[in-house]
Amino acid sequence: MKTRVRASAKLDGPVELPPVTGFVESSFNPLLYHVAMTCLAGQDIPGDRLGVVLVSLMGDATTTDLASERMVSGQVHNPLLFMQATANAVLGRLSTDLGITGPLLALSTTDDPAGELLAAAELLLAVDDLDAVLTLAVELAPNPRTARAHALLGTDPPAHDVAVAQLLEPHPEET
Amino acid sequence: MTDADPLSDDVVVTGFGVHTAFGRGAVSLRDGVFAGVPAFAPATRFDPAPYRTPMTAASAGTPVLREVLADCAGDALRMAGVEPGTPAAVLLGSAGDWTAITGFWRDGTDAGLTGSVPARMARELADRFGLTGRAVAFSNACVASASALIHGWRMVRAGLADVVLCAGAYLVEEENHAKFDSGRALAKDGAVRPFSADRTGLLLGDGVAAVVLESAASARRRGAEVLARYAGWGVASDAHHVAKPHPEGRGMASAATQALRRAGVSSVDYVNAHGTGTPFNDSAETNGLRAVFGPGTVASSTKSTTGHMLEASGAVEFVISLLALRDGVVPPTAGYRRADPLCDLDYVTEGPREVPLRRVLTLNAAFGGMNTAMLLERV
Repeated sequence: MKTRVRASAKLDGPVELPPVTGFVESSFNPLLYHVAMTCLAGQDIPGDRLGVVLVSLMGDATTTDLASERMVSGQVHNPLLFMQATANAVLGRLSTDLGITGPLLALSTTDDPAGELLAAAELLLAVDDLDAVLTLAVELAPNPRTARAHALLGTDPPAHDVAVAQLLEPHPEET
Repeated sequence: MTDADPLSDDVVVTGFGVHTAFGRGAVSLRDGVFAGVPAFAPATRFDPAPYRTPMTAASAGTPVLREVLADCAGDALRMAGVEPGTPAAVLLGSAGDWTAITGFWRDGTDAGLTGSVPARMARELADRFGLTGRAVAFSNACVASASALIHGWRMVRAGLADVVLCAGAYLVEEENHAKFDSGRALAKDGAVRPFSADRTGLLLGDGVAAVVLESAASARRRGAEVLARYAGWGVASDAHHVAKPHPEGRGMASAATQALRRAGVSSVDYVNAHGTGTPFNDSAETNGLRAVFGPGTVASSTKSTTGHMLEASGAVEFVISLLALRDGVVPPTAGYRRADPLCDLDYVTEGPREVPLRRVLTLNAAFGGMNTAMLLERV
């Protein structure tokens, strides 16, 4: 299915974002939430006709590694880090605030993240019969672990935090 | 019963491999899950002393996630007769190997560190078996491998792949035990008691499973045995809360209804419930199931024996549902002690129940209010 971009947004570089209630420490969740909200602003799509697909190679490594560092140093876990330990949590915040009841996916690939994101959106539009799919790509600047992992994988980490959103819909030729 | 028509666009199951705390393969599931034997014991892979409960459902020793995953994938591909060079996609539900992250921060070692990147695990699995299609990891928590299986259905049905290897992988380790402990989500009494009035929470368990999906036409062409028809599925979000399910099981009911609609049926004979043993999930799920299937719904939670396998739950419970369908046995809910007025379905608490099954539905839910339903039909 051919698609076209209905709206887009980007947060690139060190940016000060308002916090997202219930989320702490990591910039991953505010980045995702605010880029999505910006992209969806003014859009009138029924919640059950909208899907969301996130792609991220390393995910919310800040939360992951902060929790791990605390654990290995014998500190008690912060329950808030448990609550935000998966990107599902902030996707759930987004779906709650906007009434999105369609599919929410979180993908990761080393092959062609942008291509996979588009392919997934096209598939959801075709098979799930949605009106639109919000595609999100979020990647954090590397921490010591992800920098090492990037080196081992031969992938390039971003120089700074970045989040990109595109709202895709079927191309008029397809409808 | 619906025959898998080779001329139709049915999606069918032709192979599986599975590993749980009970060991590897279908026999171990029959001896453990289907016998209603809980696998919980004090953790040995890490020191559980700092935590409120030491209990997990783990297999012996300290298996390596990638190796167990490869074993299960190999079992599935051999059963299906899929050869190296097949342009099959690999869709993996996993958050990666947490022990590599622990090792990095504890010892500074980068041994196995690429295994902490789930996308890399998916690519390695494809390369290991010479599968030349796309390799994608799904990381959306407890619906990750269910999402992989649903995406596999989409790909086959849309003609993007004839064969897809879908998998889920999680092995018990300290990072998640600590997180769930901090969230006070672990069962205080060391047992998972889904739907029981005295349920206190979940416990983590080993789970790895791989499933071969393909078009009915492809299976017929290759001469592969069709194990079941993957007749339908549904996905829905609660849009209610970051961590709590909608109290009426709204998303769960929507996902189940979608699965029925896609399969073109109005009922199922058994539901393999998400059934975490947490107070909120089990009453919400009951409400959702009652709304769709009525008060006589037959539903059990096999997490009462396997523990919660996080990202792998969907794939392992897909295999359990497949075995239930083929064996004509409903696996019981173990650990059940006392009726909860909020949980009033037939939870199969007396032990395994032999009954002919035509259709089985398996449900999963995750943080963020995500819900999945997958419907298998006998062929």
